[in-house]
Amino acid sequence: MQDQSPLWELEGITKTFPGVRANDGISIRLHAGEIHALLGENGCGKSTLIKILSGVHQPDAGTIRRRGDVVQLTSPIQARGEGVATVFQEFSLAPTLTVAENIFLGRYPRRGPLVDWPRMKREAAEVLGSLDIAIAPDRIVGTLSVAEQQLVEIAKAISIDATLLILDEPSTALGEQEIVALHQLLRRMKDRGVSILYISHRLDEVVSLVDSATILKDGKVVSTANGTNLDVDEIVSKMVGEDIDEHYPKQKNATNTVLFSARNLSTDNGVRDVSFDVHAGEVYGLGGVIGSGRTEIARAIFGVDPLTSGKVSIDGKTLRIRNPQDAIRAGLALVPENRKFDGLFFNFNGGPNMTAAALDKIRGQFLLKKRTEADVAQDYIDQLEISPAAARKFVSLLSGGNQQKIVIARWLFADSRVLILDEPTQGIDIGAKIAVYNLINALTARGYAVILISSDHNELIAMSDRIGIIREGSLVETMPAARVTHTHLVQSSAQELTHDAA
Amino acid sequence: MSETSFLGRLARQEFVGPLIALLLIVVIVAATTPAFLEPQNFRNIALQVSILSIVAIGSTIVIITGGIDLSPGSMIALLTMCLAVFIKTYGLSLWVAIPLTLLIGCGLGVINGILVAYVGIPAFIVTLAGLSAFKGLALTLNGGTPAFSLSPELREVFYGTFLGLPLPFYYVVGAYALFTIIMEHTRLGREIYAVGGNESAARLSGINVARVRLIAFVFAALCAAVGAVLLSSRLNSGSPNYGTLIELQAIAAAVVGGASLAGGRGRVISTLIGALIIIVVQNGLNLNAVTTSMQSLTIGLIILVAVGVDVWRSRIGASIAGFLNAKTKEV
Repeated sequence: MQDQSPLWELEGITKTFPGVRANDGISIRLHAGEIHALLGENGCGKSTLIKILSGVHQPDAGTIRRRGDVVQLTSPIQARGEGVATVFQEFSLAPTLTVAENIFLGRYPRRGPLVDWPRMKREAAEVLGSLDIAIAPDRIVGTLSVAEQQLVEIAKAISIDATLLILDEPSTALGEQEIVALHQLLRRMKDRGVSILYISHRLDEVVSLVDSATILKDGKVVSTANGTNLDVDEIVSKMVGEDIDEHYPKQKNATNTVLFSARNLSTDNGVRDVSFDVHAGEVYGLGGVIGSGRTEIARAIFGVDPLTSGKVSIDGKTLRIRNPQDAIRAGLALVPENRKFDGLFFNFNGGPNMTAAALDKIRGQFLLKKRTEADVAQDYIDQLEISPAAARKFVSLLSGGNQQKIVIARWLFADSRVLILDEPTQGIDIGAKIAVYNLINALTARGYAVILISSDHNELIAMSDRIGIIREGSLVETMPAARVTHTHLVQSSAQELTHDAA
Repeated sequence: MSETSFLGRLARQEFVGPLIALLLIVVIVAATTPAFLEPQNFRNIALQVSILSIVAIGSTIVIITGGIDLSPGSMIALLTMCLAVFIKTYGLSLWVAIPLTLLIGCGLGVINGILVAYVGIPAFIVTLAGLSAFKGLALTLNGGTPAFSLSPELREVFYGTFLGLPLPFYYVVGAYALFTIIMEHTRLGREIYAVGGNESAARLSGINVARVRLIAFVFAALCAAVGAVLLSSRLNSGSPNYGTLIELQAIAAAVVGGASLAGGRGRVISTLIGALIIIVVQNGLNLNAVTTSMQSLTIGLIILVAVGVDVWRSRIGASIAGFLNAKTKEV
């Protein structure tokens, strides 16, 4: 493969924005049938490079060649015409249209002046079938799960005969099973001779999937590697630019005192008779596939969705939780799965984001004490090593890691003692992930209880003390994290348990 | 650091843009129209802006929660009729009739608020229905005809002076001071911005979203009710035709002042500037004997220019922010 000339070749790509050189002489060669990982921390220039390849930005210098011929990618439409298909992190699907309409958006097949609906449906079914995606073409996209939408997004991208497929963190929203399906799909594309540029923060999956990798730092290529010598620890240290002792710096702080307990929780949206205890200082993981009901359990505990039966207690005292206000008063906290949509106030800077759940703590007789609020914000900025800019900038301008720390700070300020963290490291870079792990350690060291939900199995197993396995809304077993294997976490139905129990 | 200096802080205030626009407009109108600078004209402007600017406070608050209120105009029609009937038909004293009118106004706000926040009908629909229904109710009072010459004392509410300044001046200053404090320095104000910024995050942070929305509509109705009392006093009458289209002017004032219809952004004080821009332009056009149709067209253009400039500014702002971030090696 290496002897052949590359299918796509980038040479000396440079792009400068006011004050920053986002890409600095980047050269990458992509062969036909090669899956190439593009790695690096947030802000290393990955996004800029992808935008150049998909025609959104124009490079200041450098050339892009396809099969040796220079191509100009001057607009997204033109780049698609040249065979570059990009699946961006943010979905570009229209939620009210069908799967077929989305796949052919902007290029509906026509018969005369009218849309040829039967043909569109047929061809959409062909595209989906060729990828082994079992989604009916006439389903409305808004009714699909996030994982299914991701697959439709990919189907849409490759339905245009691409020779270069770019995927920007496609696995962020996917569970282990869907990731396996995605990998199979990518390998089939690879067999067809497509070049694939794959961006991910999940290094474990990168190592198992890709043929080669390029690591960027500060807009420059710091390392290129081929499949045989891909090593996770080495990649991490090259990305961060320093040696990291421990990828998962787990501290064991669990005590024998039960702090939180849930008994026989059931809801209308699929939680079935869930009972578990969490000790002071313990990280209790909830494991299972996407859609197994872990987020629903979190929402039920926090009073977002009503319980049809069951109760929760803290320190042995049974709580009456009808809404999040009750839950917060009792010392519970929920760091939601999707911090953009459910966690952050983008119209506030850091301070008001941190105090939102405990405004009474910064209130005098009538008025909010803004100076106290500023002090609180500065305290957490120092304590949690949040970017100092958080004190005065809208949180939309901060990195994902800083944003996540701000959401966690909100709950520390609200005096929460039982924190439910739902996918706390989703979409943030390695350095920030480690910061979140250290924060979890700090919480448990104070004697707080953490309920951790994560689809990153390595993270879940490494950071939890015990893990409850959730299948179809039921908790089937709780076991010490060290004994949990990937197999436990990927099985989706309760029946399968009898097999591995046997 | 310049960022913490007084001037630096001032420059970052959202109302500075609209304020500069207002000053420019004042300079242009003053240069082209000598009559504009006469003291009597300033008095006229102040009286004209008083009612609109108070009604617009309520519109701004609802807009900050991410909602919209189309009903103040019809509410004003209904409430001026209520006030007229209280005074003329029932012979109530002003000290009873005015508070009662304000109270009924709050009641109308409660209806809007409950339908939006607890029943879950979109604000646009609820207040569009209110726009029609309140007008209809106004027509059921006093046989649907205007009531004139209510009371000489009532005229004093609007035309009276205190320490040489017209009373409406005090109402405006009082209303803006009160609502600026509520919006920027109280827990409730913070919750209003939070709900407009991200409703889901607000709910998960323990904020009672429905209650906050309800209160916003009550504030809006209260502001409209104050506007109704002032309008009745100014014209010494009540009429089902009063207040027509003031809801659109109030929304325009909020938007020209920089409030975002997406919610979460905007300031009460900026709305005062927005209202002044609209009134000064109207006044300038009036003094130059420009027809009503051209005035209407001009106000339309001002809304487009103001929002257009705002969109353009936030784009520029984003690239400047990107530049600063890159410089400080942050983000």
